[in-house]
Amino acid sequence: MRRVAKVGIGTLLLTGLLWAQGMGDKPPVIMAPVGNLQVKAGATKSVDLDFRIGSDFHINSHTPKSPLLIPTVLKLNAPEQVTVADLKYPTGQDVSFAFSPDEKLNVYSGDFTIDALLKVPANSRPGMYPVSGELRFQACDHSACYPPRSIPVQFQVTVVK
Amino acid sequence: MKRNAIVFVALTVAIMAMLASGKYLDRSRRHGPVKLLGDVHGVPAPDFTLSSLDGNRVKLSDFRGKAVLLNFWATWCPPCKVEMPWFEDLQKQYGKDGLVVLGVAMDDSEPTMIAKFANELGVNYPVLLGTDKVSEDYGDVQYLPTTFYIARDGTIVDKMTGLLDRKDIEDAVKKTLTTSYKPAGMQQNEASAGIHSAAVAAIAGADSAR
Repeated sequence: MRRVAKVGIGTLLLTGLLWAQGMGDKPPVIMAPVGNLQVKAGATKSVDLDFRIGSDFHINSHTPKSPLLIPTVLKLNAPEQVTVADLKYPTGQDVSFAFSPDEKLNVYSGDFTIDALLKVPANSRPGMYPVSGELRFQACDHSACYPPRSIPVQFQVTVVK
Repeated sequence: MKRNAIVFVALTVAIMAMLASGKYLDRSRRHGPVKLLGDVHGVPAPDFTLSSLDGNRVKLSDFRGKAVLLNFWATWCPPCKVEMPWFEDLQKQYGKDGLVVLGVAMDDSEPTMIAKFANELGVNYPVLLGTDKVSEDYGDVQYLPTTFYIARDGTIVDKMTGLLDRKDIEDAVKKTLTTSYKPAGMQQNEASAGIHSAAVAAIAGADSAR
């Protein structure tokens, strides 16, 4: 009986915590953690940055079909020891939605990957260097849209000799 | 042992209350009191003064006595642009009965871009430039389109979020044109005395206290 009561209280507490921390504020896009990333000084390396869009949502691709639509854009700030040489965005899908069956929007949905090409100068000292930035996007579902927002993007690059 | 259980329960409840109140206070600190939450039916519509695309200052309470369709939209919202020509048609059809359509653009685009967008959709009703404050006053409008249907006495008849069927919108307009939450005599008295509803006064009081 006591155990049941404790489990009940625990569940209540967890529910309260989740509610209080604002589950409703959860972004419609999340980023998968980037694994251990080692790059030799003087070398280049391609990094897959994986994102997942909530099942009810889509976001504009990097190249939406109208200048009024807000594109998905990744901005990265790297330290001197690591250079972001290029970002390759995936091609979006042309999709018609129920709210506008005659118009096709170029969007991402489900999972998508942005390929970041990193260059490490030959004179970079070995060590761990953080790369940070943000992914800006604008999400809609089947009947409405959310304002543009950004999520943080962070990973570490380990430079080795 | 029983005492421990009581203390544990009390502690749990206290933690939950602190977390909940902390979240509310944090929100209040950042944004001030949110005016509309939960069921908004019959609640006084918060008054506002916003700039229109043609440079005029437009006050919601100036339309007291009219049924107002207040539509929050943005140029980056494809579902919003489906509704806007419908609103224009409804304005033409029900304007003579007292319907006023007001668009509120929740957009960072230049007003010229917003005007171009609205013109291309054939919109002739006033388009106002939205602010964070008006969004907050109307319950932190995030999800677009969001439309409030406001009765002649300034109370909210309905709130609709997301793109709906045109018929649903027209039904809401008809309901708004015929709904009043206050006795007709009271509206008359208020209008002749030139005073706003108690809620508008309360909102003004809250704003000055902020």
